Formats: sequence, structure tokens, C-alpha cells
Amino acid sequence: MSATSAAINPKGPRLRGSASNPFDWLNTYLGSSVGQKILVAITGLLLMSFAVTHMVGNLKMFSGPESINKYAYFLKHDIGAWIWVARAGLFLVFVLHLSVALSLKTKAMAARPVGYAYNNSAQATPQSKTMVQTGIVVGLFIIFHLLHYTFGMVHGIPAADGKGERNYLSLTYKLDDGVVVHDVYKMVVAGFSTGWLSAIYLISQMVLFIHLSHGIQSSLQTLGLVNRRFLPVARLIGYGTAGVIFVGNVAIVVAVWVGWVKM
Amino acid sequence: MKFTLHIWRQPGPNARGQMVTYNVDDITGDMSFLEMIDVLNERLIKDGVEPVAFDHDCREGICGSCAMMINGLAHGPERGATTCQLHMRSFKNGDNIYVEPWRAKGFPLLRDLVVDRSSFDRIIQSGGFVNVNTGGAPDGNSLPIPKADSDKAMDAAQCIGCGACAAACPNASAMLFLSAKVGHLGAMPQGEAEQSDRVRKMVATHDREGFGHCTFIGECEAACPKEISTEFISGLNRDYIGSAVKAAVKGEARGGA
Ligand code: HEM
Ligand code: SF4
Ligand code: FES
Repeated sequence: MSATSAAINPKGPRLRGSASNPFDWLNTYLGSSVGQKILVAITGLLLMSFAVTHMVGNLKMFSGPESINKYAYFLKHDIGAWIWVARAGLFLVFVLHLSVALSLKTKAMAARPVGYAYNNSAQATPQSKTMVQTGIVVGLFIIFHLLHYTFGMVHGIPAADGKGERNYLSLTYKLDDGVVVHDVYKMVVAGFSTGWLSAIYLISQMVLFIHLSHGIQSSLQTLGLVNRRFLPVARLIGYGTAGVIFVGNVAIVVAVWVGWVKM
Repeated sequence: MKFTLHIWRQPGPNARGQMVTYNVDDITGDMSFLEMIDVLNERLIKDGVEPVAFDHDCREGICGSCAMMINGLAHGPERGATTCQLHMRSFKNGDNIYVEPWRAKGFPLLRDLVVDRSSFDRIIQSGGFVNVNTGGAPDGNSLPIPKADSDKAMDAAQCIGCGACAAACPNASAMLFLSAKVGHLGAMPQGEAEQSDRVRKMVATHDREGFGHCTFIGECEAACPKEISTEFISGLNRDYIGSAVKAAVKGEARGGA
């Protein structure tokens, strides 16, 4: 008996093609500029879908406190742990979108080490050249928005006894069926009755519109869904969706401001 | 006509460069942009000054050599024209004209307006061909190709590899060039078989050569002397997604190029 016969597998490790290593696939396809751009496009469109859903849900402000408070209660309690799955997913998508987009942008800046003395452009839209700037503003706004309404850390409403402020999160509302829930309606009215807060929201919505007016049509092209004939359609979808998000969100702010929606 | 030219002068790849101002007169509107620089160079030679180095060859808009950024636009202000096909009547008498080389990491500067575009050759070498034994000429019509497909291939095949797309792109992306080559071969049955390998390898080489990514700004399309459409970039991405799916299912991915 030779020494090797003691080995568990005398023929050596099982053969595997290098192609069976999933990291090869990931490095190749998600490591390239095209693959990463596709990631930015997919995550961008997911964020866009969220923005549409979020806006439509918030339109319940127009049907009164009962409606919006019930909806908010449904999201936070009735769907149980799914809210955390949704939040984690959204967070992941958000982080992926901005980290891949910013990393691509850094590489693109390195791709032109010496710039032109005379800068000019033939047909580029301003929004297509400022995606990073508008994206960063939108990102900062999202953080601000969470601090403001989700964590109630930015602003309070004057307490009934005139002493100090009450935290947004302590506001309560009694639904028709007797359940006591968080008063989202009052919180939103309090927020947008404050001039500087409304101004921040209006400006941010403008910037989001600019980001999406290029982002959506660009994503559709990135995903290979557009040819020369459908380019005008992709543009229409882009401006249309961005416009719907803008109008819906701004309507809520303005309605509170001019007093259509009040306590 | 008279012009004030501001031209990038740089004696060598690692030397310091700068914009230098020259005045030219006795220019007629029918002169091409290159002929106008010829006039300037003749004078510079007489004055004992090193003439402006620039690439040119065919001077009829088919070779893609005459790379120049003119007033911030690749190949100047006319759509669908190379610099050699740009005429001085496109400018107003007395204009200031800024002339600069292509600026991209993938196009290292050699001298004045001349850049090294061999990165494009390496992109082609990594997949811009069809692996068939040529053999004898096939019978006519033995391989039917729909008219729409051949038109599409012909549109893409117009690319002369001038590099204007990458020079004009704010991201310094050569995606229009890449997509024209990939789209041209993929539209034909002879090239289709290797399309998913080709697109993976050529994209990998494009990135390795230091070009940026495409965000559909669309400047390349306006700069392209052959008016290649960005729809080919969309098509390239479609092929890339197809290649990724095929590699995932069949386990074919072997790294880029
Ligand atoms: C609600 C939030 C956001 C939405 C809905 C959104 C949506 C989009 C969409 C649809 C695109 C197009 C992708 C493409 O060009 O193919 C895009 C691109 C981009 N986004 Fe956003 N985005 C959001 C937030 C952000 C944030 C927070 C940042 C950065 C900090 C950002 C940075 C960018 C950049 C840099 C691009 C350009 C892509 C590139 O250069 O490859 N976005 N975004
Ligand atoms: S796509 Fe157009 S601009 Fe780009 S290299 Fe080809 S001919 Fe030149
Ligand atoms: S010199 Fe050949 S295209 Fe201009």
C-alpha cells in the first residue's frame, strides 16, 4: 500500500470549471461600466416607483384626517413585520443607487484628467449634466424629510397650554372605530403651515423633478428599452412621471399653505 | 476672411502645454478648416516657428484622422461633418476660434493637436471582428438578410473611429463608438453567433482603456460626423444584459476579454 491510498479522495479535489465561480460573473458583469450603469438605472426606477406610491398615498390628506391616519396606521401596524422588510429594501436600494452612481461619476471624472479651455455643448440638456448635483440635493432632502416627519426632530407644534412645544410623534387621533392612532394629519398641517419648512419642500421637489426628468428617460435607454422611434415616448414617460410626482407632492404643501387643508 | 486662432501647443507628451494665439488673414470661405491651418503653418515655417501638429489623411471625411475640438465642439459647429469637411464659411469674419486636442485619458496627447488613439484599435482587437474562414466567395443570395437588418448594420458601419464621441462626452465615454462596432456586427448573421462574447469583451476593454460610462447625455450623437444614433448604445446595453443572462444560465463568463 502506497502512502497516498490513505487520502480521503485519492483523485484530488473534484474538478470545477472556473466559470462555476459566481464571483467571476459578478466581477465581470457588475464590475463593468455598463453593468454598474444598469444597476443605477434599476435602483433609480425602483426609487421612482416608491416616490409615485408615496405621493399617491399622501393624497389622502385631501380626504381628511380619518383617511390619512387610518392609512398610516395600516402601514405601520396592520402589515406587521413587512414594514421592516420594505424599509430595509428601500434603504438598500437607496444606498446602492447613490453609491454606484457616485463611484461611476468618480471614474468618469478620472476619464478626463485635463479639461477643455473652451466648454460648449451641442444638444445636452442642463439636467443631464447635473445628475450628481441634483441627486445629492435629493439625498440630503430625504434625510431631512425623515428627521422631520419620521423622527419628529426638526420642528414641534405649540402646546395647548402655550408652554413649550409638543413633539409631532405625541399627537394622537381617535379613529371612527375608537382606535387611538398617531395623528399624521395634524403633523403634516403643522409642518406645512411653517413657511421655511414649506419652502424647503417646494425647492426639493423642484430638484427631484429635474433629477427625474433626465433620470427616467436615461434609465429606459440604459435598460435597452428604447430605439430611435421610441425615444420621444421615453422622454414623455420621463417628464410625465416626474411631473406627476411633482404636482402631487406640491399640491399637498400648497393646499396647507393657502388653507384648503387645515386643522 | 480674418480669424484669431487660439490653439493648444504642447511640444511632447510630458511637456507643459498652453493655448497660443495666432492671427490669420487671406482666408476664403471655401477653404476647409485644415486648409486654414495649412495657411497658418506655412507662415509659421517661414517665420522659423514649429508648425502646429495635427492628424489628417484623406481630407474627404472618410478616414477619421482630423481630430480637433473647435470652440468646444468636436469637429466644429456643423452636424455630420469631420474637421476636413468643415469650411470657413461656417464662421463669421473676425471670429475667435479655440482649437484643442481630444481630451480623454484613453487618448494620451502626443503633440499639439495629435493624440494617440490606439485605445480604439485595442477595443476592436478584443472583439470587433467575425471569426470565420473566408474561403471562396459564397453564391449570391445564399444567405438572405432582411433589408432592415442590413440597413441597420450599414448605419453602424459608417463609424470611422474618429473619437469625436469620446472627446465630446462629458463622461469621456467611448460608448457610441463601441456600440456602433458591436451593433454593426451583431445585426448580421455572420456576427450574431459571437455577439454575447463580443459585447462582454469589448465593454471590458473600453473600461480598461480608461473611458467613462454612458449617462445618455447625447453629446456624442451631435458630435459624430457619421450621425450614429444613441439608439445603438441602447442596443449595446440590451446585448449586454442578454450576455449576462446567457453567462449566468450557461456558466460561460470567463472574466472580461
Ligand atoms: C428619490 C430619490 C431618487 C430617485 C427617484 C432617483 C432616480 C434616478 C434615476 C431614475 C436615475 C437614472 C439612471 C440612469 O441614468 O440610467 C438616476 C441617476 C442618478 N442618480 Fe438618482 N435618484 C434618487 C436619488 C439620488 C440620490 C440621493 C443620489 C446621489 C447622492 C442620486 C444620484 C444619481 C446620479 C449621480 C445619477 C446619474 C447616473 C450615472 O451617472 O450613472 N440619485 N437617479
Ligand atoms: S461613433 Fe461617430 S464620433 Fe464616435 S468614433 Fe465613430 S464616427 Fe467618430
Ligand atoms: S482627414 Fe480623413 S476624415 Fe478628415
